[in-house]
Amino acid sequence: MRLRNSTARTARARCGAALLAATALTLSACSAGGGTGGDTGGGGADGAKASVQSVTLGTAADSVGPATAVAGAHKGGTAYDLEQNGINHLDPAQAYINQEQIIGQLFSRQLTNYRIDPRTGKTTLVGDLATDTGESSDGGRTWTYHLKPGLTWQDGTPITSAQVKYGFERLYASFETAGPQYVQTWLSGQDFRKAYQGPYSGKSLPDSVIATPDNRTIVLHFLAPHPDTPYAMALSGSGPVLPAKDTEAKYDSAPFSDGPYEIADYQPGKQLLLRRNPHWDPRTDPVRDAYPDEWDIELGIAQPGLTERLMQQAGHDKDALALVAPADPTQTPLIATGAQYRSRLVSQYQPFVDVFNINTSRVKDERVRQALMYAFPMRQVQTALGGAPQGDLATDLIGPTVAGFQAADPFGKLAEPNGDPAKAKELLKQAGVTHLKLTYAYADEARWQTVARTLQSAFAKAGIDLQTTAIDSTSYYTLVGKVNNPYDLYRTGWGADWPSASTVIPPTMDGRLIADGDTDYAHLNDPYVNAAIDRVEKITDLSQQAVQWQQLAQYILKNDTPVIPYEYDKYFNVHGDGLGGVTYNSPLGAINPNTVYVK
Amino acid sequence: MLRFLVRRLLGAVVILALISALTYLLFFTLPSDPALLSCGKNCTPANVALIHHNLGLDKPVPVQYGEYMAGIFTGRRLPLGNCPAPCFGLSFANDAPVWTILSSRYPTTLSLAVGGAAVFLTVGVGLGLVSAWTRGSLFDRLASSVSLMGQSVQIYFIGPLAIYLLVDRLRWLDPGADPDWSHDPAGAVGGLVLPCLVMSVIFWSNYSRQTRSLMIEQLAEEHVRTARAKGMGRGYVFFRYALRGAMGPIVTLFGIDLGSVFGGAIITETTFGLHGLGQLAVAAVTQTDLPLEMGVMLFSSCAIVLFNVVIDASYAFIDPRVRLL
Repeated sequence: MRLRNSTARTARARCGAALLAATALTLSACSAGGGTGGDTGGGGADGAKASVQSVTLGTAADSVGPATAVAGAHKGGTAYDLEQNGINHLDPAQAYINQEQIIGQLFSRQLTNYRIDPRTGKTTLVGDLATDTGESSDGGRTWTYHLKPGLTWQDGTPITSAQVKYGFERLYASFETAGPQYVQTWLSGQDFRKAYQGPYSGKSLPDSVIATPDNRTIVLHFLAPHPDTPYAMALSGSGPVLPAKDTEAKYDSAPFSDGPYEIADYQPGKQLLLRRNPHWDPRTDPVRDAYPDEWDIELGIAQPGLTERLMQQAGHDKDALALVAPADPTQTPLIATGAQYRSRLVSQYQPFVDVFNINTSRVKDERVRQALMYAFPMRQVQTALGGAPQGDLATDLIGPTVAGFQAADPFGKLAEPNGDPAKAKELLKQAGVTHLKLTYAYADEARWQTVARTLQSAFAKAGIDLQTTAIDSTSYYTLVGKVNNPYDLYRTGWGADWPSASTVIPPTMDGRLIADGDTDYAHLNDPYVNAAIDRVEKITDLSQQAVQWQQLAQYILKNDTPVIPYEYDKYFNVHGDGLGGVTYNSPLGAINPNTVYVK
Repeated sequence: MLRFLVRRLLGAVVILALISALTYLLFFTLPSDPALLSCGKNCTPANVALIHHNLGLDKPVPVQYGEYMAGIFTGRRLPLGNCPAPCFGLSFANDAPVWTILSSRYPTTLSLAVGGAAVFLTVGVGLGLVSAWTRGSLFDRLASSVSLMGQSVQIYFIGPLAIYLLVDRLRWLDPGADPDWSHDPAGAVGGLVLPCLVMSVIFWSNYSRQTRSLMIEQLAEEHVRTARAKGMGRGYVFFRYALRGAMGPIVTLFGIDLGSVFGGAIITETTFGLHGLGQLAVAAVTQTDLPLEMGVMLFSSCAIVLFNVVIDASYAFIDPRVRLL
């Protein structure tokens, strides 16, 4: 499920990893090839290549502001952002999809955040409001954060640890249903709302759960060790809320700012106008340069018009970019081959991996599932979806932005990207299956209709009769999410919440989660895998854990074959010539607005 | 006249009630669950149940409908906050009051509809009149051909073409933009010119053809011939006698087309990146946002129904033979 697009229920998550001690850790995540737009490279030779980098855990020294200056940048002007969809949530605690989180960077701050070097694109997790990424004790169950001095809200009110605690308490409120639930689950268990009903109940979480020994210190006591905590503290909801300005559910339309910009005007689905927050002190902020005086975020701009506007850059579109919307597939060949776009092109991996799920409760023989894997025409599907600029061929469950990525290819798909019907036939014969008839369900949109025809033709070569069923796209996830759905094959996507497979393998492959609406779409329920998930989650050395996740992913794919991965998604689009300092936030899979300036 | 208006307005209320009930029921015939669109990765049964409660979907459908309709007049207290009258609910997608969203959107659609109608009536009827006046001439034949072409094209075809030529290449016109009449009236006009022109193309051709044939028909009528025989000037008879006779069917056509104008607004707004009720309707449907769907549907239906009452009433002025009962 992808959470990058609000019209499709999708999962965008970020990734996390940390050592119990605050030593620097490199996660071999593939990420931000850094700056683009002529500042630090970009598109690559064929205009569609993305690069692989790492996310490191920074030190206290890395967490000191101000942010690294962009060469040649200056303050002033209005930057424009074109968004395909409206913003569903402005309340940072409700933000989950990457669009909400990346726009939230402009008006909300968290305990930690990703510092992106505008020259190299190197991504480092650092303390944002906090002085560092956290100190752990009690075997990783307790995490302590100290707030930097001089932090204030948009009205000049100082930020205190009590407000951070209040921010965490709000996560328990009954209206906070859309945001990530890691922290509250880690603090109070799966039934966290039964343990505590939020600050509006008149009660506060006891010190044994969250303590604030002084105005600048906050101590989180988890039920179990959570080495990923520094990354979870970079999620949008891991920040303070000022009780006097808390309007409960209505905060979702008008949050109070502690970031470089405050909300000047918001018309849902139409426009979000941000102007400079005079009380934001850049000396406290290692992440945000905040060069433009204003951000004018235009919402609900349909494709392909959005891409066309960025390509043509008429009027103020010269100073425009699309933080999360990749180019329309119809325009990508033109952009990829046009020399005039090269200097303002961004082509980077996103955290999303797209797969075709094989319903293992219906297709029970793994040899049949492997036959489908061999017969699958991944190259044709990639072409039907817009080609390499939209995404690279995927052969693994874990994408290139995640720690431990190795691009395993157990079925040799890259050697036979058009499918190997002979091998598929052989496996079906071994399984004793003749006249195999399967049902493929797809969202009733033009591109998925094309893919349906592509699959039908490729599977027919392997002797598989693929029946296709179109589902109204608004009902798609509801229907394929049902345990007893009548389909054998259906597509979903998944993005890591932070660059660790802890946010990929357990939610998509743990058979104990199977229920209507859960995210183990293939209904895999392998006792070995379930036990392995429990084992790997307990590993506190994140480098070691990353290796173990990768091994488990390879085991699942090779032995259970519950899904057919086919694409590592990419952000691929141009921005206006009038903008500089355009860098990329790989954990969020979006342009990083923090370094952008208007030329 | 008063009796006519009261009767028509009461009829309008019944129509709107039927439309609202049908929209509400249709929503629940789809298998999609709005809670699954907003729970993201947290679609545990407990979280989904909580979202159902927050959205009011845990009540029986007739109760939900009754509360929704009553809320329009009385306001409501919802799990996600107060919603003062006129309460069209809170958007499932972004929790904002639907009335606030509608209020920020209708000026665009209204401007587009008025501007577009002004263009297609002026150009369409004008071309039809000139064609009828110069029947059989080169102009008449050319106008007929152009009208036929106009009738054959679609907004989503000529829209991008017009943007490419007139905005991106020649830079003669501004790209489409939402009007801000109170702060930037000049900019509002500039941003509407192209969308109104493009939207009008698919309509004016019909008016031009209709006007031409109606005028030719009228000019062959006996009362017109009599007027001419009595020595009245050609121009006088053309406008005073023939045009008046042709106006009735044209106004009827305009009344019927109003629904299409709103339909055309969906495509026009999407093509030009405008934020009106049409674009809102698409967003509401794709996000299975029931309160927003209801709000847009009721708002648009209300506008169309009321406008048709006005059109019907206008017959009395166009044709004195019509008595409104």
